[in-house]
Amino acid sequence: MVQFFSSAGTVFSAAIALRVVLLIYGSFQDAFSPMKYTDIDYFVFTDAARFISRGRSPYARDTYRYTPLLAWFIYPTTWPGSWFSFGKILFALGDIAAGWLILLILRSSGKMPLDRALKFASIWLLNPMVAQISTRGSSEGLLGVIVSALLWSVLAGRMRLAGCLLGFAVHFKIYPFIYAASIIWWLDDENVPTGPKKKSTQSKTMYEQVLGFVNPSRVTLAIYSLLTFSVLNGAMYYAYGWPFLQHSYFHHLTRIDHRHNFSPYNTLLYLNSSPTGHASIKLEAWAFIPQLFLSTVAIPLALAKKDLPSTMLAQTFAFVTFNKVCTSQYFLWYIMFLPFYLPTSTLLQKPATGIVAGVLWVLGQVFWLHQGYRLEFLGISSFVPGLWASSVFFFLVNIWILGIIITDLGSTRKSKNMLAGTRKDI
Amino acid sequence: MRQRITYIVHDPDEFNPDKLHVFDDSFSLVSVDAAKEHRLTFSLSELPQELYRVLRQCHELHIRWASEQAYSTIPPFVSHISPGLHAFFTPQKDRSPDLLCPTLKKIFGDSLECQSPKESFVNMPVLSGRFSSSSTSQFYQLLPSLDDLVTYIQQSLCPKSDFNCQAKASTLGSATYVDFDYDTISHALILNAFWAREPSEGSWTESISLQKEGDTIEVGVLTSEKAVDNEDLAFSGFLTVVGEDAKPKPTRFHFPSRHHPLPKSASSPPLTYATSFKQPAGLHPSLTLSFPASSLTPPDETCALHTYLTLPSVLFIDKYQLSDPLFLASLNLVFLRSISGATDLEAPDWVVSQWGSAALLELAIPPQHDSAPQDGDWEVSIPLHLRYLPPNHNKTGLESSATPWPVVFWACRAEEGSKMTVNPFDRVNLGYDGLFGPKTMFYHVPPADVGGLVERIDVPVLDLDRAGYVEWGTVAAVVLGVAWVCWKLGVVVWSDYKKDTVASREKEGKKKQ
Repeated sequence: MVQFFSSAGTVFSAAIALRVVLLIYGSFQDAFSPMKYTDIDYFVFTDAARFISRGRSPYARDTYRYTPLLAWFIYPTTWPGSWFSFGKILFALGDIAAGWLILLILRSSGKMPLDRALKFASIWLLNPMVAQISTRGSSEGLLGVIVSALLWSVLAGRMRLAGCLLGFAVHFKIYPFIYAASIIWWLDDENVPTGPKKKSTQSKTMYEQVLGFVNPSRVTLAIYSLLTFSVLNGAMYYAYGWPFLQHSYFHHLTRIDHRHNFSPYNTLLYLNSSPTGHASIKLEAWAFIPQLFLSTVAIPLALAKKDLPSTMLAQTFAFVTFNKVCTSQYFLWYIMFLPFYLPTSTLLQKPATGIVAGVLWVLGQVFWLHQGYRLEFLGISSFVPGLWASSVFFFLVNIWILGIIITDLGSTRKSKNMLAGTRKDI
Repeated sequence: MRQRITYIVHDPDEFNPDKLHVFDDSFSLVSVDAAKEHRLTFSLSELPQELYRVLRQCHELHIRWASEQAYSTIPPFVSHISPGLHAFFTPQKDRSPDLLCPTLKKIFGDSLECQSPKESFVNMPVLSGRFSSSSTSQFYQLLPSLDDLVTYIQQSLCPKSDFNCQAKASTLGSATYVDFDYDTISHALILNAFWAREPSEGSWTESISLQKEGDTIEVGVLTSEKAVDNEDLAFSGFLTVVGEDAKPKPTRFHFPSRHHPLPKSASSPPLTYATSFKQPAGLHPSLTLSFPASSLTPPDETCALHTYLTLPSVLFIDKYQLSDPLFLASLNLVFLRSISGATDLEAPDWVVSQWGSAALLELAIPPQHDSAPQDGDWEVSIPLHLRYLPPNHNKTGLESSATPWPVVFWACRAEEGSKMTVNPFDRVNLGYDGLFGPKTMFYHVPPADVGGLVERIDVPVLDLDRAGYVEWGTVAAVVLGVAWVCWKLGVVVWSDYKKDTVASREKEGKKKQ
């Protein structure tokens, strides 16, 4: 086991082998069983790509709610033969690349020895859930590589690249905009390797503080991210018009999310959106306030300067936990940050806490899935108390874990070893 | 007003012409066991203003209603539609059809969920060019009885104290199916009512008399015969024009027909189908059609078995799910030929304004080359999905919803298409006929008589009686969650602040020293 993690070659070979096996297994199951291994979303993407190949809009496919770029990325799936799997291979390669970037960050910013870094990168690389999601054809793996590349470029001080990646990530899936807050806050003079270091402990005037806040890195990041985001959206709007905005963005703002999911708001949204429900408060309109306050204001301000990658974990965790809709794919959004947080976390240092947290996190889902099964397959009205109670339980478990993450982060000193600008180590 | 009344005698051996009597201005028959079709043709001028104004907004309007009871069919009345009220409609160009829905509600009852053709109707797919004259939009709703129609006719159309009219109207209440047809070309409204049997005594004993100058009534009493040509139906019997003919005139005729009964087979049980939901249905019910496997032999090698589903909006088909050949084959389906209407995969029922959706599926049949006859049932499953329904009270979290049985038929190639319209009993605008080419014959599989042609399904919904705490409970959980996270963040910020002040004090202390 020790030997296994001593070489990047073996770990990455294993990660690749895992995905190759799943891809081959999946193609067999698809070919011979009426129950498909391939995710329904993958058929949505490939149908959309087919529409594009016929010169039509990807939004001609019902439930295509992504940027047209995704359909363009997997354009080869429209070619005959086994090209159909191209997208899955692309997503799986995205996974591997994300794992490689995680390793780079652990080695350079985390100053971790190779075997230890490989062990933690394996949380992503050898995670069967991660490998399964991408080989089934879900695009979340692609998002993983974009976000990990964003983190890497920020830590490496490559602000132009970081800006482009941030703009691209938000264009791709909206939610990475929360990282803008933590990255901008983190990019103070201490964390910017190239900036002139004016050491002064004297209190500055308000004007000086504001002026000091607007440093070149922050400006570069802002300009490049806004530019990338605007150019991509402009181009997509130019090419695909209103349906692009409607399906990629507005849909996510106006959707009702009445169908059961892990979110604690779910039962209430079902109740309030229906004609028989009497809503005393428009809670669904208020739900974004705690979510955005925590994930874009409170957590970045309190924690970002201590440890950027783990702050991004806390942000994502808060965003997903407080979201109006939550499915297990969303968990992937924060799993990719675990390798940065776990090495110093209570969850590993006090195994009892870690095990309890893990067990409760899984149990919350098991309770919910059981109620979901009763509703979905047995036709039992398990909305109350079953589904509601289990989603609230899962929510509270997540809150408790988020509390642990925050406390752990709080006890880290502003550590210089997470400093960027150590490109030569990479 | 013109009337044509046709009796098709069930058992030719039990019938003799002595049962028919012709008088100067009337015709009567005594205990004739027959199916009956009564066809009334009104010119627009004979209609009340109210109906005239609606029809003027229609280019074409075809209304079909069928009872929820299974019935035995007899040629030429062999076509089926799903039980309930169907409307097929093409608006008149440049006219807004604002009167259609209010009038339909007035005639067929307030329970009709018809807001306007734009909101409630669905567009019909055009798969075949020839039926370019077929209607452009479709409406459907389950309607167990025509009581409201009878009341409407009695109160609004029959002259007061015309008891004959009132009595005639009330017979519609026992009809097996009723069709209304109007189009701008014929400028006439045709009402066609069909009874598979006399509803109370089992045989017809009635007198038909001329009411007004200028009315014509034609009465036919016919028996079905074996036609020489497979595509034909043949009949013999007696025709009488009331007021003109002194006695029933013997007749014998045949014509090509669009709709056919199943060919009789001596060896196997008659082919029927039964519809049910697999239990437990959950949120993804599977509609099962079962057939006696040994009887599933096509009438002709060009035939393919089809089902036409009329699904209320609570149920829907995911067309993408039905695109994989392996998946289809595992359910004994061949492919989804057509789907139209409310097919949104995510919308809850309360945001769907359309009545629902209609789908045509080709079904697989047992392999035919086997010499050994198939035993048991042949089951076809159609995967459906439920939309979320609004939460309710007092029903323990279940909302009953009903869906009609689909119709099942063999669609076969016909040599002659155009001549089918000469059939005096031709029936078109049934929803599925327009989805096939012109040279198509339908061999109708009758539904099994097992207690009604409507399936009920319990849809799980949120039980409002138990959901009182959901609102404050959710708010409490979220507030607690936010408070906990803020507390933890506060602790971090506070200890940072303390450390900073300690550090700066130390520094200042050092400086002072």
